[in-house]
Amino acid sequence: MIELLLAVVFVGAAVTFLAPNRIAGKLAFAISLLPAGISLWMLTAFDGSGNALLSGGQLAFESQAEWFQVGEYAVSWFVGLDGISLPLVVLTTILTSLAILSSWTPIDERQSQFYGLVLFIEANLLGVFVALDFLLWFVFWEAVLIPMYFLIGVWGGPRRKYAAIKFFVYTNVASLVLFGAFVTLVFALGGDGGVSSFALPEITQAMHAGGIPDGTSLFGLGATELSAAIFVALFLGFAVKVPIVPFHTWLPDAHVEAPTPASVLLAGVLLKMGTYALLRFNFTMFPEQVETFAIPIAAIAVISVIYGAMLALAQTDLKRIVAYSSVSSMGYVILGLVAFTQFGIGGATFQMVSHGLISGLMFMAVGVVYNATHTRMVTDMSGITAKMPVASWIFVAGAFGYMGLPLMSGFYAEFSIFYGAFGSELLSYAPLFTGVAMFGIVIVAGYLLFAMQRTFFGPFALETDYELDRAPLHDVAPMLVLLALIVVLGVAPDTIFGMITDATDPIVAAYGGEAA
Amino acid sequence: MEGLFTFAPAIVLFPLVAFAITLLVGRYLPLGGAIPGIVATGGSLALSLVMAAAVAGGETTNELVYTWFETPEITFHFGLLIDPLSAAMLVVVSLIAFLVHVFSLSYMNAEGETGLPRYYAGLGLFTFSMLAFVVADNLLMSFVFFELVGLCSFLLIGFWYRTKSAPSAAKKAFLVTRFGDFFFLIGVVAIAASYGTLSFAGDASFVTAAESAIDSETFFGFDADTWVTITGLLVLGGVIGKSAQFPLHTWLPDAMEGPTPVSALIHAATMVAAGVYLVARMFGYYALSPTALAVIAFVGGFTALFAATMGCVKDDVKQVLAYSTISQYGYMMLAMGVGGYVAGVFHLLNHAVFKALLFLGAGAVIIAMHHEQDMWKMGGLKEQMPVTYYSFLAGSLALAGIIPFSGFWSKDEVLYDALIVGLSEPLILAAYAMALLAVFFTGFYTIRMVRLTFHGEPRSEAAESPHAIGLPAKIPLAVLGVLALVGGAMNLKPLEELAGLEVAFLERWLDGQGVGSVDGLTYHAYSETVHYGHEYIGGPEGTVILSAALSLGLALAGAGLAWTLYSGPEPTRHTERLGSLRDLAVANYYQDEYQVWLARGLTLPLARASDRFDQTAIDGVVDGVGSVSRFGGERLRRLQTGQVTDYAALVILGVLALLVVLGINGGWFL
Repeated sequence: MIELLLAVVFVGAAVTFLAPNRIAGKLAFAISLLPAGISLWMLTAFDGSGNALLSGGQLAFESQAEWFQVGEYAVSWFVGLDGISLPLVVLTTILTSLAILSSWTPIDERQSQFYGLVLFIEANLLGVFVALDFLLWFVFWEAVLIPMYFLIGVWGGPRRKYAAIKFFVYTNVASLVLFGAFVTLVFALGGDGGVSSFALPEITQAMHAGGIPDGTSLFGLGATELSAAIFVALFLGFAVKVPIVPFHTWLPDAHVEAPTPASVLLAGVLLKMGTYALLRFNFTMFPEQVETFAIPIAAIAVISVIYGAMLALAQTDLKRIVAYSSVSSMGYVILGLVAFTQFGIGGATFQMVSHGLISGLMFMAVGVVYNATHTRMVTDMSGITAKMPVASWIFVAGAFGYMGLPLMSGFYAEFSIFYGAFGSELLSYAPLFTGVAMFGIVIVAGYLLFAMQRTFFGPFALETDYELDRAPLHDVAPMLVLLALIVVLGVAPDTIFGMITDATDPIVAAYGGEAA
Repeated sequence: MEGLFTFAPAIVLFPLVAFAITLLVGRYLPLGGAIPGIVATGGSLALSLVMAAAVAGGETTNELVYTWFETPEITFHFGLLIDPLSAAMLVVVSLIAFLVHVFSLSYMNAEGETGLPRYYAGLGLFTFSMLAFVVADNLLMSFVFFELVGLCSFLLIGFWYRTKSAPSAAKKAFLVTRFGDFFFLIGVVAIAASYGTLSFAGDASFVTAAESAIDSETFFGFDADTWVTITGLLVLGGVIGKSAQFPLHTWLPDAMEGPTPVSALIHAATMVAAGVYLVARMFGYYALSPTALAVIAFVGGFTALFAATMGCVKDDVKQVLAYSTISQYGYMMLAMGVGGYVAGVFHLLNHAVFKALLFLGAGAVIIAMHHEQDMWKMGGLKEQMPVTYYSFLAGSLALAGIIPFSGFWSKDEVLYDALIVGLSEPLILAAYAMALLAVFFTGFYTIRMVRLTFHGEPRSEAAESPHAIGLPAKIPLAVLGVLALVGGAMNLKPLEELAGLEVAFLERWLDGQGVGSVDGLTYHAYSETVHYGHEYIGGPEGTVILSAALSLGLALAGAGLAWTLYSGPEPTRHTERLGSLRDLAVANYYQDEYQVWLARGLTLPLARASDRFDQTAIDGVVDGVGSVSRFGGERLRRLQTGQVTDYAALVILGVLALLVVLGINGGWFL
C-alpha cells in the first residue's frame, strides 16, 4: 500500500512535469487528491499498535525487501507506519493538496515545473515518514532538499538565490553530520552489538538491549563517550532542520523569499522532519543520553520559545512574523520531548500536526493578502478587513489558533506539553522550565495582536492604483479546510491523540517511565 | 444525567446554535440576525429557571458530558456541575444575555449599524462560552471557556474595527487578561500535575485531594499547604485579569470602546464576573490557604477604593460606570477573602443586575444624545425620558448602597463580614477600612452621574431634543429596574440577625438547606475550613447595626455631597478644584503609562535588540563560515557560474551518481 502511495506521487510528479503549463495546476491538484485519499483510507484502515522502532508493537502496511549489502550490513526497502508517522503522512498529503490549490493565483510562470516539483517534494516527504531503514530514509531526507531548493531559487522573491543556497548548504552540512554520526553508531553496534543491518528497529532495540558494547573504542572514544558524542551529533544535525536556536537563521530568509506554497510546505511539513527525526532517533534510541543532556536540551527549548517569540515581536514583515513564530512553536515540541512523559512526547507529536495545520493556514492567509496588496509590511497597510473580509477574518482565526485558543488544536497540543513537562521526573527543575516556556503564550499574543491591529483593523489605508478585490474561492477554500481541521482536532483531539500516545507510550515505558 | 438535568446541556448549546446560524446565514435573516439569538437566550433563560427549580426541589447534578482524553493517570473532560451556585448564576447570565439581545434591537438595529450578523454572532458565541463556563465541573473546562469569553470580548470591543481606537482597546483587553491567564494556566497545569484531577466537586476533586495532602505530603519540594497557596495564587492571576482587579484593571475602561449593550453584558454583568465566580466555584481550595485569602481580601479592598476615586473625576458616563465596575468587583473579592462566600455571591448577583441596568440606561441616554457620552453636555433628561430616568435611578441607588435597594444589602453584608474578621486581623481591617471609605466615593460619583445626566438644564442641543428610544430598550430597563429595587430581598441577613426572622434565603440556598447541594460545596463546609475567628463590638447585633450605620451613613454623605455640589441648572466642575489630585485621578494614577511602557518601552526595544543580535552575531557567524568556505573554494570558481540551475544540475548529477553507485553495489542492474 505504501508503495502505491509513493508511486502515485512520483508518477504524478513526472506527469505534471511534462504537462502543458496551462493545465498543470489543475492536473497537479487532481493528482494530489489520490495520495490524500489513500492516506485517509490508511487512517481508517490503520491496524498498527505500539511503536515502529520498539518491540511489542505491530506495524501497519509493513513491507520489507532485501536491497543490497554494504559489507556485513544489509540495506533493505523497509517501510511501515505507526501512530507517530501516520498522522504526519496524512498531514503531508492534505497540506500538499491545499498548497497546490493556493498556488493557482500567485504562480504564473513555468507552472508545470513548479507543480511537478511540489509533488516531487510530497513524494520524498512521505518517504521520510514511512522509511524504516536508515539508508532508505536518508535518501528521501536528502531528496527533499532538491525540489525545495528550486522552488525557492526559481519562484522566490528578490533575494531568492541567497536564501536558497543558504537553506541548501546549511541543512546539507547538518545532514552530513547526522549521516556520519549514525553510520558510526551502526558500526559501533556491529559485531558484538548484534546489529547486521541498517534497519531502524533493529538498531533501536540493540540500543535498548545494552547499547554500544563496553570495551568498544572508536576514534579513541569509549562506549559511553561514543554514545554521548553520537547523540550530540545527531541532535545538532536535526536541530538545524527543526530549527532550534541558534541554528535557525536560514528559516526566516528561506520563508521570506519562498513562494507561498513552498512556505506552507516548509513550515507545515519540512520542519516536522526535524522534530520527527529527533523523536525517532535521539529520543527513542538514546533515553539514557536524553537524561544526561536533559537540562541543556530543556534550556535551548525554552530559549527557542522565548527568543523566537521576541524575534517575531521585532518584525514588521507579516511573513517573517509567522516564520519566527515557528521557531517558538518548535521550542514547545522540544520541551515536550525532553520531558519524557506520556503527555510530553504525545503532546509534542500532536503539536507537530497541529502546528503544520496552523502555520500552513497562516502562510496561506499572508499569501492571499500579498496577492492582493503586493506588500507584506504591516507598516504599509491598514484596515484590510474592510476590503477583504473573508480572508482577513480567516487570518484572525488562524492567529488565535496560533495563540493557543482553546477548542483549536494548538491549545490541546500546548496544554499536553505543559502538563507533561511540568510533572516530568527525568528533567530536573521541570516546573521552572515549563513556567518560563509558558510565557511564550503571552508574547505570541502580543505580536499577533499587534500585527492584526495594524494590518487588518483601523481605517483602510494602502497605496495602490487599483481596487482591492476579494480573494477568489480557490484561495479561500484551502484555508477554510485547514481551519475546520484545526477546530476538529481542538474539539476532538482523541481523533489522533490516542493513536499517537499508543506509539509514544512504549518510548516512555521502555525507559522505566510510567505510561498508560 | 437524570430527570430535568437531561435538558441542561441545551442551556449552553442554544446560543451556540444561534451563533452558527447567524454566522452562516445571518445576512439573509431579518433584523440583522437578531432573532436566533433572542430565541436561544430566551430558551436558555427558561431552561435555567427549570434548573433552578430542580435545585430548589433538592436535586443537583455533577456529570461527565464529553471526554477529551483519558488515561488512568488523569482525565481531561467537559462536564456539568449544577448546584445552587451555578443554577443561580445560570439564571442571571441568561436573563441579562436575553435582555441585552432585546435591547440591541434599539441600540444597534434602529441606529442603522452595519455588520449586525457579526455582532449577533459574537453575542451568541459569548453567551455560549459564558454559560459553559458557569456549568464547568473542572478547572480545565473553566480555563477553556475563560479564554473563549476573552476572544468574544476581543471581537466585540473591536466591533467598530474601522476606527483606530476600538482595535487598540480590543488588543489591550486580550493582552492584559492573557497576562493574567498565563499564571492561571500554570496554576491549572500545576494542580493537574500535583493531584491528578481537576474536578471541582466530589471525592475525586482536587480540593479533597489537597485537603487530605495537607500535613502529610509535599509537592515539588513544597509542603502541601504552601503548595495550595502557590497554586491558588497562580489561578488568582487569571481572576485578577478577568475581574479587572489592581494591577490588571487597565483594560476595562478602554473596553468601553465596544457597543454599550456589549459593555453591559460582557464588561459589567457577566464576563468580568467570571473571575470572582471562579473564586466562588473553587472556594474550598482557597479556604485551605489563609495567605491566599488574605491576598484576595487585600487586593479587593484596595481595588474598591482605588477605582472609586477615579470614578469621581470622569466626564464620560461610561467611564464612570467602568471604574465603578472595577470598584464593585473589589468588594466581591474582599468578601471572598474574608470567608464571606454568601456575601460575595450575593453582591455578584445584585451587581450583575444593577450594573447591566446602569449600562443599558447609559446606552439609552447615549442614543437619545446622538452618541454623545460626555455628561457635561447632557442635563435635564429626567422629564424627557422618564422610564430611563427612574430605572437608572433605581440602579444608581443600588450601586450607591442606599437602603432599601439591592446593593445596600449585599454591600453591607460584605462589609459586615470583613469587619468581624478584621477586628482580629489587622491586614483585613485595613482592607475593610479601604472598602468602607470607598462607600463614600461610590455615593459621590453615582449621584454626580445622575445629577449631571438627568437633572438641571440641557447643556447641549442634543440634550434639548433627545432622540426617542424604542420599546425594546424600555422593557429591559423596566425589568432590571424592578429587580434592582427588590433584589436585596434575596438575603435580608441583618433582619435575621436582629429580628430572628428566617429571611437569609440566599444563605440557605447556597448552603443547600432545603434545596439540593453537592457535598463539600456548601457554605457551612467552607466556613468550617476557613481559619478566621470572628470578633464583635457590642455583640453580633451591635456589630450589625454599627456596620450598617457606618456604610449607610458614608454612602448618604457621599451622595448628599454630590447632590448639593451638582445642583442647579448649570453645575460647576467642582472636582477641578482638587488640582493635582484630580489630575492624578484623571490620569488613572499613571497605571496605563507604566503598562504601556512595559510593552513599548521595555519589551519592544528588547525584541529589537534581540533581532539585531540575531542578524549580526548569530547569522553573521553563519554567513562568515559560508564566506570562508567560498574563499577556500576559489579554485573551483569556474564551476560557480552563478546560475542557480547549474548548481542544481550538479546536485542532481551527484545524487544520480550516488544512486548508480549504490545500485551497482547492490546488484540492481544484473
